[in-house]
Amino acid sequence: MFDLIIRNIMNRKVRSGLTVCGIALGIFAVIVMGAMSENFHQTFERSMSVTSDKIRVFAESGVFGGGLTDDKVSDVLRVAGVKDAYGLLMTTFDEDKMGMTGKQILGIPPEKSSVALYPVELKAGRFLNPGDSYNVVVGNNIQREYKLQIGSKFEIHDKYFTVVGILDYTGSIFDNAVIIPLETAQDLYNVGDSVSYIFAVPDERVDAEILSKRIEFSVKGTSTLSPGELEVQARESFMIFSVITISSGLLAAIIGGLCVMNTMLMSVAERTREFGILKAIGAETRDILLLTLGEASVMGLLGGILGILVGTGAVYLMNSWLANTRIVLFLITPRLLIIAMLFALLIGALSGLYPAYRASKMSPMEALKHA
Amino acid sequence: MLEVVTELKRFKVPKEPGKEVDKKDWINKDQRVILQVENLSKTYYQGKIPVNALRCASITVRKGELLAIMGPSGSGKSTLLALIGTLEKATEGRVILDGIDLTAVPEKLLPRVRREKIGFVFQHYNLIPTLSALENVELSLRFSRVPKKEREERAKALLEELGLGDRLSHKPSELSGGEQQRVSIARALANKPAVILADEPTGEVDSKTRDSIVRIFKELSEKGQTILVVTHDPEVAKECSRVLKITDGIIKDN
Repeated sequence: MFDLIIRNIMNRKVRSGLTVCGIALGIFAVIVMGAMSENFHQTFERSMSVTSDKIRVFAESGVFGGGLTDDKVSDVLRVAGVKDAYGLLMTTFDEDKMGMTGKQILGIPPEKSSVALYPVELKAGRFLNPGDSYNVVVGNNIQREYKLQIGSKFEIHDKYFTVVGILDYTGSIFDNAVIIPLETAQDLYNVGDSVSYIFAVPDERVDAEILSKRIEFSVKGTSTLSPGELEVQARESFMIFSVITISSGLLAAIIGGLCVMNTMLMSVAERTREFGILKAIGAETRDILLLTLGEASVMGLLGGILGILVGTGAVYLMNSWLANTRIVLFLITPRLLIIAMLFALLIGALSGLYPAYRASKMSPMEALKHA
Repeated sequence: MLEVVTELKRFKVPKEPGKEVDKKDWINKDQRVILQVENLSKTYYQGKIPVNALRCASITVRKGELLAIMGPSGSGKSTLLALIGTLEKATEGRVILDGIDLTAVPEKLLPRVRREKIGFVFQHYNLIPTLSALENVELSLRFSRVPKKEREERAKALLEELGLGDRLSHKPSELSGGEQQRVSIARALANKPAVILADEPTGEVDSKTRDSIVRIFKELSEKGQTILVVTHDPEVAKECSRVLKITDGIIKDN
């Protein structure tokens, strides 16, 4: 029966081709949007794994509200159950681009740099050491973009820093981080002893969620974000982003599905007499269903393969193009490819369902009378 | 269980004394009754108005008969054929083909009846335009799940027998009307049916081709194939072993 299905598709080359292109376009959108979502998802998961053991302490007025200073670090440290605490100053690297490139300056007390960044490892050099002032550790993407090596000079806010360490690729926000000593960062950006937030590391056997509430209660003027709360917050943002990207892809794919349905309905209408002949010579309802559904599914399959190939190619090209700007926007994963393929098949089969039903329910006599 | 349900033997007419099919009409092994139509009626509705396309038709056809069914347009000839061929459901009466009461066979099993017991030959040939002559003949064997090699061999042998051995790979559009009708006859014969139902098989062809088609039917009939031919053409009817005339849905002469 498969040879008949293929032949029927091939006999209507232009129409079948356009239908396959319609599905391919939808699957292309699923791949591109899905790849964006997958990249975001990976960055999110890795970032979470890097910072999941720490409680974030903010000024009550928020991260941009100011009011959080170095002395609060001592207050946090005094809270029972806090093993370690240190302030961080976070600001955008390229202020002229409004931080759109995702590059960040991270001011960290040098003696805490290895623990603050744990479990991120170094690709080369070392973390910041006490006494460092105009030394910098850069993330993997920054190193590649600026072609930095250990000992290279790197300009930040009109000052030259010496690269002492390069982070290994993490797939997280740290790939775009420029890490300098906290005091140098405070001087550079003229913020006094302000910090953006404090990282509080809980003692072992201490519940981070409870400790988070305790810090908030004990240190006046602060609010906290426990690892659990951060994850919930981040997941919500991720979900919204995913829903927007995936649904726009799905919408395109559904339009592709309607395209198949239209083609199949036209094809069934045109072949009414043919179905009558097939029934007269003994075709079973399942044979007619198989023929019609098979055609729709094969078109879905072809559209899926084409959409995945073109989508993957486009993602590769866009990633290559964006490589110069160090922005990684798309990530093709096996999961995404499988979902896109299954979706193409599902769309093909579902769109063929109604035309197939119509074809199988035709009365052979009525169908034979059809001009 | 499914096997039992799908078994057409369930609809075999029992061989009881007094039952016409088995007692009265069995003359000898070669001239047994293959088709019995009893009080068959078909009423259509045009809106709310009933139209009696066929009224209480009763016929008996023996194996190997070449029966012509004649009558004016709209007299019910094609309806009779469609009812025997299970393409339509009768309003009343019954059709017993090869011992099976077709009117009792459920809808689900009718494709099997059409495959195994009936072969259709249409006026407009009704070949699938995208398939070759060989593939068209193979088609009903395909639905019978006959293995590819066997169905190819059977289809090829039939086409060769009908003088189309050199036209196997030709599409219908590449064949003449007569050739297309011969392909259609080969397709009808593919499953070795109990009866061939031919609806105006010579309606679209010239007299020479008509004669060759009638000759094929006669040869098949002589070999024991039962054929019912609906025709307007007295030349065709003349060659048949018996002629049945229908007027206004009523069989006038049997």
